[in-house]
Amino acid sequence: MNEKKQSTMKRLLGTRGMGAVLTAFAGLIIIYIAFGLIDRNVFSGQNVMNLLRSMSKYLLIGVGQSYLLITGNIDLSIGSMVGMSAMISATLMTMGIHPVAAMMVAMACCLICGVVNGILVGKFKLPPFIATLGTMFVTRGAAYMVNNNRNTDAIATGIGKEAGDSFQNFFYYGKTLGIFNTFWIALILFLVFFFLLSKTRTGRHIYAIGSNVDAAKLSGVNVVYTTIKAYLVSAVCSCVVGFILCAQAGMGNMEAGNMYEMYGVAAGVIGGISPLGGTGLLLGTFAGAAVWQTLENGLNMIGAQVGIQRLVIGIIVVFSVLLDVVVRSGSFGKKAAQ
Amino acid sequence: MGEVIVSMKNIVKTFPGVKALDNVNFQLCSGEVMALLGENGAGKSTLMKILSGVYTRDGGTMTIFGKEYDALTPKKAQEVGVAIIHQELNMCRHLSVAENMFLGREKVRGITLRNSEMEAEASRILGDLKIDIDPRQTVGDLPVSKQQMVEIAKALSVHAKVLIMDEPTSSLTAKEIDELFRIIRKLKADGCGIVYISHRLEELAAIVDRVTIMRDGQYITDGNFADMTMDQIIANMVGREIKEQFPRVSCPKGKKIFEVKNLNAGKLVRDINFSLYEGEIVGFAGLMGAGRTETTRAIFGADPKTSGQILLDGEEVKINCPMDAIKAGIVLAPEDRKKDGLCTKLSIRQNLALPNLDLICNGLGVINSGKEDTLCEEAVKNLLIKTPSVEINAANLSGGNQQKVVVGKWLARNSRVVIFDEPTRGIDVGAKVEIYNLMNKLKKEGIAVMFVSSEMPEVLGIADRVIVMCDGRITGEVMAQETTQNEVLKYATEFEKKQAGFEI
Repeated sequence: MNEKKQSTMKRLLGTRGMGAVLTAFAGLIIIYIAFGLIDRNVFSGQNVMNLLRSMSKYLLIGVGQSYLLITGNIDLSIGSMVGMSAMISATLMTMGIHPVAAMMVAMACCLICGVVNGILVGKFKLPPFIATLGTMFVTRGAAYMVNNNRNTDAIATGIGKEAGDSFQNFFYYGKTLGIFNTFWIALILFLVFFFLLSKTRTGRHIYAIGSNVDAAKLSGVNVVYTTIKAYLVSAVCSCVVGFILCAQAGMGNMEAGNMYEMYGVAAGVIGGISPLGGTGLLLGTFAGAAVWQTLENGLNMIGAQVGIQRLVIGIIVVFSVLLDVVVRSGSFGKKAAQ
Repeated sequence: MGEVIVSMKNIVKTFPGVKALDNVNFQLCSGEVMALLGENGAGKSTLMKILSGVYTRDGGTMTIFGKEYDALTPKKAQEVGVAIIHQELNMCRHLSVAENMFLGREKVRGITLRNSEMEAEASRILGDLKIDIDPRQTVGDLPVSKQQMVEIAKALSVHAKVLIMDEPTSSLTAKEIDELFRIIRKLKADGCGIVYISHRLEELAAIVDRVTIMRDGQYITDGNFADMTMDQIIANMVGREIKEQFPRVSCPKGKKIFEVKNLNAGKLVRDINFSLYEGEIVGFAGLMGAGRTETTRAIFGADPKTSGQILLDGEEVKINCPMDAIKAGIVLAPEDRKKDGLCTKLSIRQNLALPNLDLICNGLGVINSGKEDTLCEEAVKNLLIKTPSVEINAANLSGGNQQKVVVGKWLARNSRVVIFDEPTRGIDVGAKVEIYNLMNKLKKEGIAVMFVSSEMPEVLGIADRVIVMCDGRITGEVMAQETTQNEVLKYATEFEKKQAGFEI
């Protein structure tokens, strides 16, 4: 039994890309402790709760974007889908429509976006950067148009007060087992997509087309469907983040989710997901999102200005990839010497 | 010979502007190895891609195991029992051996992958073939030859009864080729039909039963290999008599041009000393991994050297980067044309001009297109590059013509030393002769030619002097016309004593 446990452990540590994941987690711990030493409040229970809640957005965005990065593509429309989801759900709720119905409409719109992205990239072979740049503008435009180029009113007023309150509670303000719901939602989705990527045929095909699309095709992998599935994952994640932002603000903001697609890239890349496709683990994305949020949170706590925050985060992104490149070239050198 | 398992009749395939296949007939029996021969562009790969479902045909009939098929997809072909090993390795290098072998037909329980089951089966298949590879290993970490073995194992894991191998030996060493042949013989004994495409005619005798010859998209002939002479085969492939497979030009050996002294660069370039003279071609023979390519790269400045001197006309030249070498007149036509030799997405014109921009630009760095035109015209004329225009992409040329462009890049510069690394790899018989003629032409012009090749017959046929390398050291030097393949092979396998134990 013990032996079996050991071999499972060994196997887990030997998984491709686990090195980068462990590095990211080590970085996370160092950053967290460093900030904690400067300001003890970083360690407070209250702060940890807030941290978990705020990182949820980045985690979901990161998961969505990671799916695309692993297929060797990218989704630039993530941020706009977040905005569209927030605007559609908020607008419908202010019109007195039940939040569940509103969310279903928003989700349907996001899924359509995902399918369009997938078809443009997978079937028509458009460069993903261009295809999703297009959908990025289209969906942001849609987000503006939903409520006639204005942000919505508060969702928890008038006839929809009760429903709006429960929506806000469910996605942002409420707690379950002492932890904000937001984090639970993100964690559950993370686990679902983690399972999908690492344990199912679809996941295997996602890695395969990112590694060598021709080989995958010649092995009988349906590249179009697999690409569409990957874009659907990012659409689902973006949509849920839209709900979270809507619940947080208590209204729909047309600019919600601006630049989020890039936060997703950053979270993935910090966690060791190669933007060239074929490698990376979602656990890394988890670490990446946590690193990002810890930095933002820590810099906030010690009173750093937004400018400094951006600057530090930018350096961390480049540094983490640089580290990966250096380590990898080092290991190549070793192999040549053998 | 067994019964007919594949029969393709009057196959037609047209690509935009080209008739790739014109009424081609092809038959394969069980338990035989069929060599499909022809020059590049003869349509061999296209025909096999139709058989394996990668392309759909425009006309003709295709019968596999007695059943007629309209159109196949790669997946359908696999199910029927046709597997293909493509010329370019087609592996997901980030995935493991087992993951690659089962790609597209993973075993699942519900929606969960059954990894251990797939690994066990992969391990069994590899074991059957006596291939020593851990199925959990990442494919990208394996040497190319092992990746090739994995491809074969993958093809067999679908229980293929028709196995198509497109240039399987182009990246294998002699020992690995023997290993491959052992596997092919085993499959043959099991009743598989094997289609074998190769440019290395000398290896056919070892395994081939029958040959089918194609030329320019047309079926030419077929027959038992034993009933045909090599000359007949070549004549049928190229459609004309090739007088000399290895045209040799003799010219007097002149003065010493180039000398390398005590060159060291990593494990595969150790204490290399040699000289090149005017009017001779010096061949570099050896096994794969003997350090020949590494030596050329170190001389050219593409890889750093730890020590050593390079002398041109008796004077030392410092070479720290390729630009230094080019300026000194030492140029390299690298081993991998598509990767290192050409920018395949650029036109022939842009490729030819690239290393010569200093010659054709004015002081501000603006390209003088008149000079560029002249340069391109001369290269096309002198090297007989067959192309409708210099504006087409280098990727669209045949292998032989690509090689000429690679060489053409350098000839505008009055180079003194030209290093060819495997210049004839993957190109057909006719084009090979043209490359030999090109080397002979340089030799006559008094340029020192260093000719690295793994094909023993061409080294002995073309070079005047042959230097043999093994394990990063020079182990022998012989005159080409006075030596035998066995003598060269003896030097090529002269491993250091302490390493010998590991090698065998």
